[in-house]
Amino acid sequence: MKLIEVPERILVIGNGIAGQTACDGLRAAGFDGDLTIVGAEPRAAYSRPALSKALLVDGGSHELAPPTHEATEVRGVAAVELDVESRRVRLDDGSDLTYEGLVIATGSRARRLGGDHSVELSLRTVDDALVLRERLAARPTVVVVGAGPLGMEIASAALSAGCRATLVADGPPMLSHLGHCLSDAFTAAAVARGLTVVLGSAAGIDDAHGVVLRDGSRIDADLIVSAIGDIPDTEWLATSGLLTGGRLEVDSRGRVRPDIVAAGDAAAVPTPTGIRRIPLWSSAIEQAKVAANALLAGDDAPELDLEPYFWTEQFGLNLKATGHLPAAGEPEFLLGDSPHGPSVMRWTHVGGDGVAVAVNHRIPIPKLRRMAAAAG
Amino acid sequence: MKKIVIDRPRCEGHGLCEEIAPDLMHLDDAGELILDVEDIPEGSPELTDAGAAVRVCPVAALRLA
Repeated sequence: MKLIEVPERILVIGNGIAGQTACDGLRAAGFDGDLTIVGAEPRAAYSRPALSKALLVDGGSHELAPPTHEATEVRGVAAVELDVESRRVRLDDGSDLTYEGLVIATGSRARRLGGDHSVELSLRTVDDALVLRERLAARPTVVVVGAGPLGMEIASAALSAGCRATLVADGPPMLSHLGHCLSDAFTAAAVARGLTVVLGSAAGIDDAHGVVLRDGSRIDADLIVSAIGDIPDTEWLATSGLLTGGRLEVDSRGRVRPDIVAAGDAAAVPTPTGIRRIPLWSSAIEQAKVAANALLAGDDAPELDLEPYFWTEQFGLNLKATGHLPAAGEPEFLLGDSPHGPSVMRWTHVGGDGVAVAVNHRIPIPKLRRMAAAAG
Repeated sequence: MKKIVIDRPRCEGHGLCEEIAPDLMHLDDAGELILDVEDIPEGSPELTDAGAAVRVCPVAALRLA
């Protein structure tokens, strides 16, 4: 047993699900000291996955149940600097907050094709989603740049709203996320519903509302939406000495150092395929639970054992997946015989663990996890 | 006393609540959420778990009343 300094004042920077779950985790682990959570957005924490799904399509709720952890919430204020020696965070309203333990959960923001002042919309926050929904309701012609799950969900919502929609894809949609089999199935569903898929690499946006591709061609649309990835919000840590090659890397317990942990989209975590960010809702929750415990218990806290869970809803297909994607090769069918309809599939990775995927089939996620683990 | 309340039409069976609070709720074989404990006394340690479990639901199908 090693004695660690148990903090009495913990500061959480970031009011998304990672920050909120860290607060819950700290209280669940018995922390009854002073707890403050600071968020850059003026809003209470909300469900980010809902923004590109139910919220865009039928106005489903993005609101989360209110917290029970009794932290002091400071909203609409962003952290701008961290001094790890004096244990002090500078905020953009000019004030400072001190801590004995710090949780970094500042998340990430949308990468933009044309910069901050471009006409494109992107989707990261509730406000982004509300603006996008309102614009789609006027049935503009839409071009979506980016063929990851987010771009595909937005394209699906555009079609549902009655828009003509084009997707600019720099490769087969979601190939790098899901693998060939599921990429093919989702692309077929998208095209069958009327999506135009243009294979090409977007270079930028011109003044006349056109997306310019690297081959020189351009695609005009009333509305341009980019979904080309996210950038971690770690600039405020630039002078802190915590970044490694620009990344906020944590150990297997979410620690950057003994008195500082990080979780969620801002953090790069150890995975079987190296240290990388896993910007998923379920990953943020898992990371935050581990990090909260490590801040209190140090090496006695359990390590992160990430078994990612991912879901998407688009073009009439509802997918739930457990395990480390993408899934290479052909699946074994545990239910059904085609990914185009109700099915449960399993892929086995080299090494034994695997991926289990349910399409248009309701299944308990713990059961799906067992199927992924039982592969091989 | 607090009560865990489920909005059943909204539940999509993601099961993140079960992973946070397996002693309070679970998904059955059909993927339907079963609340094993509904009433939770104020100040009990289970209330922290219940609060965390209702909040991780990405479709806001759970609440504490």
